[in-house]
Amino acid sequence: MIQWLVFLLFSSLAVVSALGVVLLSNPIYVILALLSVLVSVAGIFFVAGAELVGALQLIIYAVAVTVFYVFVLTAVPWEKALKKDSHYRVEGLLSFPLLLLLYAEMLLVFLVGVSVSPKGQFRELLKEFGNTEVVGGILFSKYFLAFELVSLVLLIGMIGAVIIGRKEAQTYDDRAS
Amino acid sequence: MTTVPLEAYLTVSLLLFGLGVFGMVVRRNMVTVLMSMELALNAVNVLFVGADAHLGLVDGQVFALFIVALAAAEAAVGLGIIISIFRLRKVDSTDEIVDMRG
Repeated sequence: MIQWLVFLLFSSLAVVSALGVVLLSNPIYVILALLSVLVSVAGIFFVAGAELVGALQLIIYAVAVTVFYVFVLTAVPWEKALKKDSHYRVEGLLSFPLLLLLYAEMLLVFLVGVSVSPKGQFRELLKEFGNTEVVGGILFSKYFLAFELVSLVLLIGMIGAVIIGRKEAQTYDDRAS
Repeated sequence: MTTVPLEAYLTVSLLLFGLGVFGMVVRRNMVTVLMSMELALNAVNVLFVGADAHLGLVDGQVFALFIVALAAAEAAVGLGIIISIFRLRKVDSTDEIVDMRG
């Protein structure tokens, strides 16, 4: 019962903050709303019994990625963006029925999926060992190749970010003038 | 362990994912477009973890970890692209980037 209440608290907070992410106009407020969503989603993970994923969500997303976004907002002068409209209003109105259609389709797929989904097999193992041990064991045995590939992707992403973000010797404006 | 039904996780994930996609469409600033994308990725993570709690598996949590790692890489590369676009063209709105218009 208390689990249900905590889940309702975190999920309603997440949905309200997600509305803030989509609707607020000032980018700093958007980042604060996104941070609220990330912390609420970490709370949902804890309710679901996924302690490792929740902790990593807090560490990686709610700290590292959010701080990175704040840094980029300080590099890009967003005061200029405030002078313009922050949303495409006509496009938003036109695409809103498509959003409702997407909701209907996902609801249909989810209902069909729930009605045929099986019940679990690892629950006794989880009770015996605890979440982090089981996730670590399966990560380093069954998904070891994928784990190594993710490390490779992170390395490539780091190199790419450095190469893309470095200062060019000659900019577009120099050539134009 | 299973007092929260699977349908509740599905509903939260559905709402978050739809809002993320809608934000990607309506947002004008490129940084906020990326933030809407993070919203959609988090919705998928909620779905994975909720299905895990229902099935009693941990495979979905492994995939959620992969998604978190890839989202970090995506944020780094995407924000690098935004900074370099801004440095080259001095724009940060998605309708002003028309270099590749045919």
